[in-house]
Amino acid sequence: MTHNILYIEDNPDNMMLVQRALEARGYHLLKAMKGMDGVATAENEQVDLILLDINLPDIDGYEVARRLRASNKRELNSIPIIAITANALKGDAEKALEAGCDVYMSKPINIRELWARVEAFVPMP
Amino acid sequence: MMNSKNRDSDGAEFVPNAVTSSKSMTLSCLSHLKCSGCGKEYSYQELHTFCPLCQSPLLSIYDLKSAQQHVDRDEISRRPKGMWRWSELLPVLDVKNQVSLGEGDTPLLPLPRLKKGLGLSNLYVKDESANPTGSFKARGLAAAVSKAKELGVEKVIIPTAGNAGGAMAAYAARAGLRAHIFMPKDTPFANIEESRMAGAEVVLVDGLISDAAGMAGEKARAEGWFDVSTFKEPYRMEGKKVMGYELAEAFDWQLPDVIIYPTGGGTGLVGMWKAFAELEELGWLENSKRPRMVSVQADGCAPVVKAFQAKASFCDFWTNAHTIASGLRVPKSFADHLILQDIYESEGTAIAVSDKSILESQKQLAIMEGIFAAPEGAATLAALKGLLQQGWVHPEERIVLFNTGSGLKYLNYTN
Repeated sequence: MTHNILYIEDNPDNMMLVQRALEARGYHLLKAMKGMDGVATAENEQVDLILLDINLPDIDGYEVARRLRASNKRELNSIPIIAITANALKGDAEKALEAGCDVYMSKPINIRELWARVEAFVPMP
Repeated sequence: MMNSKNRDSDGAEFVPNAVTSSKSMTLSCLSHLKCSGCGKEYSYQELHTFCPLCQSPLLSIYDLKSAQQHVDRDEISRRPKGMWRWSELLPVLDVKNQVSLGEGDTPLLPLPRLKKGLGLSNLYVKDESANPTGSFKARGLAAAVSKAKELGVEKVIIPTAGNAGGAMAAYAARAGLRAHIFMPKDTPFANIEESRMAGAEVVLVDGLISDAAGMAGEKARAEGWFDVSTFKEPYRMEGKKVMGYELAEAFDWQLPDVIIYPTGGGTGLVGMWKAFAELEELGWLENSKRPRMVSVQADGCAPVVKAFQAKASFCDFWTNAHTIASGLRVPKSFADHLILQDIYESEGTAIAVSDKSILESQKQLAIMEGIFAAPEGAATLAALKGLLQQGWVHPEERIVLFNTGSGLKYLNYTN
């Protein structure tokens, strides 16, 4: 069975890198380039895990995480969220975890680590 | 004959560098770069950062068979002191590009009083404070700046917890390169001043080195600065690995039993482990026994220790990192998987120590042995005491502590 992973990210290079890496492991990637689109996709589609950039063009990743955790779709209240960011402000990791993310990863994204982190939540198909 | 494995990222073949003669300007036996994650090979003739495919650090691979034919360990021992006497095993091709301030060949000091007090037979400290700019960072930055210069780089940028900034500023000045440095605003004053004195542009960041890294990365991408962050270019590790060569030579080509090393970014630990593998492949070691590598961190920032205890392959990002040992305030190293891999492979361990025990050990090193160590270096003595209590080290083993820098850089903490 294929698992759906939603990646909310506005940088097309990162999107392509992660898509290639996860599809090589048999996962199916759903994509959203904005925070609001990401929340909508998570609410409308079957999603098993969310990769979340913090710097997004509309609402930031912290707000996305908060909305997902407060969603009426109950699965989203506990869905694994991995924050992936190159943010350069003090306390980003702490803020991401407080907003409801389960794991914080900094860019550049080490693909082997990404695989390990994803597989810890969603077994490889 | 061309090695069929030597292909760059576009699949084109490239010629491994070769030793031409002892009189040649080219001594390095660098063959190619190899990704530590996916194994993809890259040409050393181009400027690289980390693997674009899997975003893992790149390793420098040497034609050690060629090195074996052109140099032996005794010849290297007879050369003038300094890091560059190992040129065959370093990445800079043209000796004219070696940027040196006299780095390397730091003393391996016995610790007779501490040894006796701790009930040990063989205790030493490799005192890296004797390097230019007062820390082990000189080795890595000498290699990285030299190689950057060789590849045509004109401006270099670095995020730093302190000593790497000072070292980069000095070597960039020596090489005639522009330098830009991002460091946490509570970095020791000496590091800020030495960087500015050497002409670097210094930005103080309200955050940790991970925050500084993000800002440096953004500036590098936007303005074309070459980022020499730990493990985000391949050559700092090559300078650091020479610590491993020097240890092997000092112990008559048999390695010590235990190396206790403070771990922030982990370049030295990973570099030394690489050095030992290269020496073994060269046939220069008297036996195949390798040291057990001990990673020392502060209990206010111990991602490697936590991952080691969980037998994990990667570290979690350490939140709310705090310790007086600024070099250990690294919430997650870019090469965490290499650090952990080498600790596991060496049957070593990872241990966290408190700031209080660091300060006590710093004083003890000064009073009993006359060594004013950096807090990171003092942390290794604090760790040794913990390991003795655990029975993890045995009294007769040959144990090497690493003092990575001078305590003189941290007077605001020790006061």
